[in-house]
Amino acid sequence: MNLVQAFRPAVARFFSRLRNACLPGRAEADLARETAAHLALLEDDFHRRGMTLDDARAAARRAFGGVEQMKDRQRDARSFAWLDDARWDLRHAARLLQRDPLFTLTAALSLAIGIGANTTIFTVAHAVLFRPPAGVADPGQLVDIGTRQPGGGFGNSSYPNYLDLRARATTLDGVYAYSLFPRAMSLGADPGTPGTERIFGTLVTANYFSVLGAVPLVGRLFSADQAESDGADAVVLSHRFWTRRFNGDPGIVGRRMTLNDRSVTVIGVAAEGFQGTGIRAGDAWVALTAAAAASSLIDRASAWLLLGGRLKPGVSAPQAAAEVDAIGRALALEYPDQNRGLGLRVQRLSPVPGSSAPVAVFLALLMSIVALVLVIACANVAGVLLARASARRQEIAVRLAMGAGRSRLVRQLLAETLMLFSLGGAAGLLLARGLTSTTVAALPALPFPVNVSVALDLRAVLFTAALVCGAALLSGLAPALQASKADIVPALKDDAQAPARVRLRHAFVVAQVAFSILLIVVAGLFVRALQAAGASDPGFDRRGVELASLDLSMAGYTGTTGLQFVRELAERVRALPDVEAASIATSVPGGFEVQRRGVTVPGATPPDGARAFGVDWNNVEPGYFAALRIPMVSGRDFTPADRAGAPLVAIVGEGTARRFWPGEDPVGKQIVQQEFGARGPNPAAAKTLLVVGVARDVKASTLIDGLSSSLVYVPLQQQYLSRVTILARTTRGQRIADELRTLVVSLNRNLPIVTSATLEDASAIGLVPQQIVVSVAGGLGLIGALLAAIGIYGVAAYAVTRRTREIGIRMALGARRADVVAMVLRQGVWLAVIGSAIGLILAAGASRALVAFLFGIAPLDPVIFGGAAVLFAVVGLAACYWPARRATRIDPLTALRYE
Amino acid sequence: MASGRQSSKGQESVELLQGTLDLIVLRALSTMGPQHAYGLTARLEQVADHPLELNQGTLYPALVRLEQQGLIKGTWQKTESNRDAKYYAITKAGLRGLEKQTARWRRLAGLVDKLLLGAS
Repeated sequence: MNLVQAFRPAVARFFSRLRNACLPGRAEADLARETAAHLALLEDDFHRRGMTLDDARAAARRAFGGVEQMKDRQRDARSFAWLDDARWDLRHAARLLQRDPLFTLTAALSLAIGIGANTTIFTVAHAVLFRPPAGVADPGQLVDIGTRQPGGGFGNSSYPNYLDLRARATTLDGVYAYSLFPRAMSLGADPGTPGTERIFGTLVTANYFSVLGAVPLVGRLFSADQAESDGADAVVLSHRFWTRRFNGDPGIVGRRMTLNDRSVTVIGVAAEGFQGTGIRAGDAWVALTAAAAASSLIDRASAWLLLGGRLKPGVSAPQAAAEVDAIGRALALEYPDQNRGLGLRVQRLSPVPGSSAPVAVFLALLMSIVALVLVIACANVAGVLLARASARRQEIAVRLAMGAGRSRLVRQLLAETLMLFSLGGAAGLLLARGLTSTTVAALPALPFPVNVSVALDLRAVLFTAALVCGAALLSGLAPALQASKADIVPALKDDAQAPARVRLRHAFVVAQVAFSILLIVVAGLFVRALQAAGASDPGFDRRGVELASLDLSMAGYTGTTGLQFVRELAERVRALPDVEAASIATSVPGGFEVQRRGVTVPGATPPDGARAFGVDWNNVEPGYFAALRIPMVSGRDFTPADRAGAPLVAIVGEGTARRFWPGEDPVGKQIVQQEFGARGPNPAAAKTLLVVGVARDVKASTLIDGLSSSLVYVPLQQQYLSRVTILARTTRGQRIADELRTLVVSLNRNLPIVTSATLEDASAIGLVPQQIVVSVAGGLGLIGALLAAIGIYGVAAYAVTRRTREIGIRMALGARRADVVAMVLRQGVWLAVIGSAIGLILAAGASRALVAFLFGIAPLDPVIFGGAAVLFAVVGLAACYWPARRATRIDPLTALRYE
Repeated sequence: MASGRQSSKGQESVELLQGTLDLIVLRALSTMGPQHAYGLTARLEQVADHPLELNQGTLYPALVRLEQQGLIKGTWQKTESNRDAKYYAITKAGLRGLEKQTARWRRLAGLVDKLLLGAS
């Protein structure tokens, strides 16, 4: 007797029950036939014993006992009763929902918005924070390696430091390096043809693909041991670029092209979906040693690479972090000039290396906002479910009186809720699909391409399903338990409803009001913050300026040829028909990027024992101040005469002037531009600059910050940098991106424009998170307010119906219409007041937590808090209007006859 | 019976009966050959010294249970009076099961007997 045999009957029965539960048809027919046969045989017996046919039939029935009860028990035995019940419950629920399509539609829609918003944020958060990179082997073993500045952070490393780390690390199987942001490059599809197309290339070390474990789709990838034979001219294309530009031509391998004026050979195409380890999606990978400027490969101070590595088997991330940290300390000691204060740190692989924490905080904020909306929608649905349950009180009481179990009733009521929420969840998923693609499309124009895969995957569907079940249980359980409470007698007598139920419904409405007002206040605070950031004068005129940034080294310009090119370019831009004023600069105010430099001033001592003053630096062509409408306070602008070889000059901001020469005329004073050597300032390399002008201060970094009080401008012609931006103010604020592109190509066909934008957009990138919060919290808050209004209306309307007789009596006794209106309003407005009070207290707490996002506006902004309170008072009154109106129209005679 | 389904007391007594009822049905089918439900009730009432309280409400679930376990098998046939009826016959697995359950019942009954005798 083995185990299988012992359990065979039980197993056979299990499957038989399951079959009968799913397909009850045949067994049911069989049972009916068998029962009929049984009764017929009994009848025959009684008839044979001498009864009449009719008597025999009756006697047979009596002898048999309860036919339906017997059938019920047989059904219990032959299938799974609970499964049968569930099916019955769902069918019943579907019928009930169909009967009230308006309720079903509004409830499902509000839930769809709540669930859809949650799924969207979940999907985006997952994609940006957690999604393992595609086409990478065993991503769990990969780490990001960055530098730690004195204040923390996760920065870039230099190539020499990378080589040392790679040589010394024993806990890592491989260390690779890549340029964090893909670079704009010009591509000519055939050898010898000048580059006409701008593509984005990522510079990577030869071991990049092998450490990541990536495989080629066509051809091969870089490999560490073949680096020599690949030579300097190897290029790997991304699958997307290969498909888009070359129609997936498999003969691409070996094709020669021109990249940034250099002849290169395509050696392969990466697998579909592979885009390295992050959300940045380049078109091609280029060997770093060949494409980078020679100086950036030997300069230990030039930090432009992000590093990554693969943990050796059996090595934990903390072990590797400890070793890398030790190597970082050693490098800081060995090269104090370049590495002073820099450490190396290891982080778990992230699609946004070094930014995981702030991104996570921001997404957590959005997640809480959408969670609140779901809570509001749930409270709304729960309130309506409670009202529906009251309406069905008699039906439920009858069923309880007939012996239905309470758990059975609760299950049935929950089935209705679950079905409603499933409808909402399904619609929410569809909504999320639209929302995620909209979100990605609405991303600000970054200077490099980003690809975030936000396809709704199984994970998102599971998340939604869990959300639906959790929310349905939360908002359905209380109404179901309330409804199934066995107060049969009063229910059957149509008495007033139980006070507990009314209290519960009021609680739901209060919660809706509280959370909606919280959302509105949060949105309002962010609006104020944006206003504050936008309203304060940035010191320059943001409107009507077209920007185009270039990297002259892409086309092979040097310090000498570049200067001539810049001068010619500036003149040609000014000559364009629509251009009112134009210049070229290395930094754009409000555009995040700011150059910091150290200067000393004769007679002034830097604070805190530092060796130099830190200042915000910008290398500009003549006409910069006029183009941005930055007023000159005194002195002169740069002129074409301020060129290489001429005396070195500078223009300072008002703040700088006040700081260095308080009360004196800065024009004619001197600034010493420090160059740093092994032991601090290197006096031999220092340059002395003559101040020739003073300009009004501007916001240098972002619009959020205050005006910079340490601005120093120098002529680009005297201090050349290869990355420059054209700033062109147009006559009527029109865009001239295409004209600029044509102009640059006409000057040099190998020089692509890296980014093109308006100054207004470029300077607003820092405000994007706040704008997102405003639209999400504001939009959802208004939906919440609408739902809250529906909730208040429901309560007030119900109260009027319930108290019709009372109102009739009062009116018969001489109550005025105003008294009746006041009575109805008191009820609804009272809920709005309690909800608003709770919501405002919550908002006060939330605003303190959000202080970091609010650019220093007072977190308890009276306008926003007061405005929200007024808004909800209006919402409460409006929601009570129709019920109050109906109450005043009650005819006392009819009301007294009511019932 | 009207409220029996909901009463926990009623369910308990059914649970108690179940094992024995299965055994009785198997035994009856093995000695008397294939029977329909009505015949089975009639015979069992006849055979017992005391009229066995065997209502349809318990017999039918037992028949379904046994059939699902593969211990008996029902087929539609005609009675001698040319009526339609579902005849249940014991299967090979049923015979094996009967043997095993009989032995188990005897052991249990003997044990309970012994305990009851010892106690008095």
